[in-house]
Amino acid sequence: MGIKVKVTDLHKAYGDNEVLKGINLEVQENEVVVMIGPSGSGKSTFLRTLNKLENPTTGSIAIDGIDLTAKETNLNKVRENIGMVFQHFNLFPHLTVLENVTLAPVELGKISKEEAKTLGMQLLAQVGLADKADAKPTQLSGGQKQRVAIARALAMKPSIMLFDEPTSALDPEMVGEVLKVMRDLAQEGMTMIVVTHEMGFAKQVADRVVFFADGYIREEGTPEEVFGNPQDPRAKDFLNKVLNV
Amino acid sequence: MMKKHTWLKYSWLMVTMLFGMIIFNTTTAQADTKEPHYVIATDTTYAPFEFQGQNGQYVGIDMDMLRAIAKKEHFTYKLVPIAFNSGAQGVLSGQFDAIIAGMTITPEREQVYDFGTPYYKTGIIAAVSPKSNITDLKQLRGKTVALKTGTGSAQYALSIQKKYGFKVTYFNDSNTMYNAVALGNAAAAFEDDPVMKYAIKNGVKLKIITQPANGGEYGFAVKKGQNKELLAKFNAGYAAIKKDGTYDKIVAKYLGSNESKFAGSAKENDSILGLLKQNKDQFISGVIKTLQLTVFGIIFATIFGVLIGVLAVVPNKFAYGLSSTIIYIFRGLPLLVLAFFIYIGLPSLTGTKIPAIVAGLITLTLNEGAYIAAFVAGGLKNVDAGQMEAARSLGLPYWKAMRKIIMPQGIKLMIPSFVNQFIITLKDTSILSAIGIIELTQTGTVIISRNMQGFRVWFIVALMYLIIITLLTFLAKWVDKKFSSN
Repeated sequence: MGIKVKVTDLHKAYGDNEVLKGINLEVQENEVVVMIGPSGSGKSTFLRTLNKLENPTTGSIAIDGIDLTAKETNLNKVRENIGMVFQHFNLFPHLTVLENVTLAPVELGKISKEEAKTLGMQLLAQVGLADKADAKPTQLSGGQKQRVAIARALAMKPSIMLFDEPTSALDPEMVGEVLKVMRDLAQEGMTMIVVTHEMGFAKQVADRVVFFADGYIREEGTPEEVFGNPQDPRAKDFLNKVLNV
Repeated sequence: MMKKHTWLKYSWLMVTMLFGMIIFNTTTAQADTKEPHYVIATDTTYAPFEFQGQNGQYVGIDMDMLRAIAKKEHFTYKLVPIAFNSGAQGVLSGQFDAIIAGMTITPEREQVYDFGTPYYKTGIIAAVSPKSNITDLKQLRGKTVALKTGTGSAQYALSIQKKYGFKVTYFNDSNTMYNAVALGNAAAAFEDDPVMKYAIKNGVKLKIITQPANGGEYGFAVKKGQNKELLAKFNAGYAAIKKDGTYDKIVAKYLGSNESKFAGSAKENDSILGLLKQNKDQFISGVIKTLQLTVFGIIFATIFGVLIGVLAVVPNKFAYGLSSTIIYIFRGLPLLVLAFFIYIGLPSLTGTKIPAIVAGLITLTLNEGAYIAAFVAGGLKNVDAGQMEAARSLGLPYWKAMRKIIMPQGIKLMIPSFVNQFIITLKDTSILSAIGIIELTQTGTVIISRNMQGFRVWFIVALMYLIIITLLTFLAKWVDKKFSSN
């Protein structure tokens, strides 16, 4: 059990507006960390700093011991190892479903086109979409799109997966199929960091729940601790609102 | 880090190579002669001194004389027909070695040119429309007079402008100037005596109202202090053809006979089909030149435009600054000014001659390319930012993501703008006639200068442009279909 992610005193500001005010977090190998909190609390921004889609203002991020804030770090190499799933899927609309999945490993010379095709079909089968291999993203439902996006990220064989509100843009009846894929991944031992509003998923799947508010981590613990007996007043208030609708 | 820019480099290499090929092509045509070779400018439409004969070759008093002298004095030359003013400036900028274009010797010109032995005595006359009741220069008070830019006749007209109180307007070639008078847009035109007489003899509806005035002399000109050898050869050759009677024969050929044989048969001039048949070769070569300029212009402008457009979206302040400056300059400059600057202005600075077609292509590349760059930048910016983030999150380097993910989507958004720009490019090639490229528009001017059939010839030219544009639009639609079904 090694440390996959180590974040130390991370700050992020847009001009005068500081959205992350000193975040410290460690994530162990095979751990599933779910980040919850009100909108604008900084959890998505924090997730995006973990593969440098956002540049932190100060502080340090180490992934597998590699310092992302160091100038000599090859970000492309680091990113190959970190899969990311976005709220709005961001599938490549000009490519087929299979091409979406195989593009990165082929373009980066990881595997041959034939191998990529086999791998791609295997991943699409894993997310239940083998029959959609030749479809264009526009022909898919939201839930199907997000499952393709997960398969696309997995094609690079990452050792960490980041999920940025993966079900927020979905119709309610499609949330389940995406969460199932994510649950399967967790069971296989993938290290996952998930920003979500799905409290049920957090309770069932998370090893640890992290509560964000106002750019700080206010509360942290097992699902039982955080949901059952929150200490921070903001966390209490938030959970009270989302759990008792 | 090095790998990032290799495809950019390749594209640049390709552009320079293609330009190189064109320059190479145009210059090797004159290789391997022991005789000295010169580039000599002439006017495009100045019958009977220079105009294009029906076989496409330049004929006229100046042309036949130059040919006879070159033969006698053993030199070869490349003739560049170009609007008189551009030709005269081109000699000063070093673009041409000399000019022979019915050029009147004046004290002002003698300060910057060296003239050969005067070879033709002329005077300036004024003409009005046959319907006009003006019979005297005094009646021109308050009226507008048509002049040809940069000519001796224009200078003469200006010298008497105060006395007679007329206003002036300028044209770049004689035929347009005549038409302005014939159609009543100007009250009178001033022109050299033989030129005007030749035009009237060939069907231009004008009436001469004055006796030849301000008798001047035509001279062959080089830049002051330059090309002394060429000037000496001209003078020696001129003396020789004057002595052996060749000169008189040439003049008689164009002005002596009562019936002109140069304008084409009257019957064929009367119908569009006849005109087409008679000038078939010229029209074909004009269309080919226009197509060449359009196709190569589009290719180069697209490469240039895409490169500059991409620079505008790269997250780098220097690249953005460079790109927006280039777009600002070349989109802001009128195409004609840019063409003159490259063809006439640049050689004065650098001392190297640029063939007109290369100058034309560079002009199109920069101007149309700037427009393309602007909408390429816009199109790329319109691709959802999430696309770049998704590509980068997979580990794709910036340029790979740009090429594989952003550009294919952006270009799809840009296709209508591209089609539009291609049609504009085709039309803009006509502006390049000003630097002496005999494309379709210039072909029209040249044919009219011989046969004076303004309406019918412009009708044919207009029709040809429409046909080419229709074909180009079809082609674009077909490509668009292929692209979107892909």
